[in-house]
Amino acid sequence: MSETPPGSSIDPTLPLRAKAGDRQAFAQLVDVMYPRSLRFALHMVGNREDAEEAVQDAFVRVWHNLHRFRDDARFEPWLFRILANRCRSLMEKRRRHQAVVQYGDVPERGSAPRASDDRDWTEEIHRVLATLPAEQREAFLLRHVEDMAYEDIAAITGVGLSALRMRVKRACDVLRARLSEVIRDE
Amino acid sequence: MSDGQDVVIRRVAETLRSAPEAVPDPRAVARLLSAAWETPRPTGIRRWFGAWRMPALSGLGASAVAAAALLMGFVVRGAVRERPSQEPAMATGEFPVPGGGTPSAGVPVVPAAAVTGEAALVPTQFVLDRPDAHAVALVGDFNDWQGGETPLTRLESGVWTATVPLPPGRHVYAFLVDGTLVVADPRAPKSGDADYGREGSVVMVFAR
Repeated sequence: MSETPPGSSIDPTLPLRAKAGDRQAFAQLVDVMYPRSLRFALHMVGNREDAEEAVQDAFVRVWHNLHRFRDDARFEPWLFRILANRCRSLMEKRRRHQAVVQYGDVPERGSAPRASDDRDWTEEIHRVLATLPAEQREAFLLRHVEDMAYEDIAAITGVGLSALRMRVKRACDVLRARLSEVIRDE
Repeated sequence: MSDGQDVVIRRVAETLRSAPEAVPDPRAVARLLSAAWETPRPTGIRRWFGAWRMPALSGLGASAVAAAALLMGFVVRGAVRERPSQEPAMATGEFPVPGGGTPSAGVPVVPAAAVTGEAALVPTQFVLDRPDAHAVALVGDFNDWQGGETPLTRLESGVWTATVPLPPGRHVYAFLVDGTLVVADPRAPKSGDADYGREGSVVMVFAR
């Protein structure tokens, strides 16, 4: 697995220029990192409106806290740490206000609906993903979708490497168990 | 089984990576930049002390603190005023945004625009689908048609994008592809002007 995921290669001078107050550099950072940030937030919180809110909150915090960003640090883990925090806060807020599962109830193992096309397959993934505990979903997305190194995920989540590996493994176990049958039936 | 070699996990990751619903909405990006720039970043002493507020004092204590603050003001003012401006000039390729500055804690922020009558800049996104290009820049009346001022950023999809704060009004622009080829925006109306030697595109920016 590559240490530098596709689409993450930002100009390393951009965060430093943004830190110095260069609004255009910050706008470029947003342009480059927004798609990945939105993707992560969307899969974490489960709906677009909340995802856009989490991403906006995260970038506003980035802009206002760039003076804390170390010149020798990497921008992406720093951004994702803030973003992951915003997603967690938003999920907690939503959980308190409405106990609704976005993707609906998940069928028991062995009774998964048969996926006949990509749409069913995608919906099924979302459904299973939504049943994962948030910390497992977060670790899985950062590792397998955002293609991040465990060391970076540890910096983002504040969780030790062995615990992270366990979270990712458990998430993979659930996804594999629930989705293998769908693939076999295709 | 190694999760890196797992066909199910790989397919899940590929599906989630290419989720069509995760395509950014340019309006959301513009809203984000507006939200970021609406409030000033902490600068100078406030950067270090955050939103520090004066504790409640009365009588002699308040007078003593006020006198000390006045004295400190004379001492510190010189150092603070020597700091470079946080709002760089347009000529550097960066954009001053009215409403900047460092308001006192607890004092409502009044945008400079409300005081000066100057309209606030509006984040405006430009997009060009040109996967074969090696470099794309934005040229227009807002940057004196200088090709090096406003480079676009290439996304994974081959789409080039830049978000630029512009004053409200009508702007004529074009894309400069690979340093030589001037391309009008295929998604925007054409202008009748020929500022860059050929017809450009028009964007109307409206004050928020």
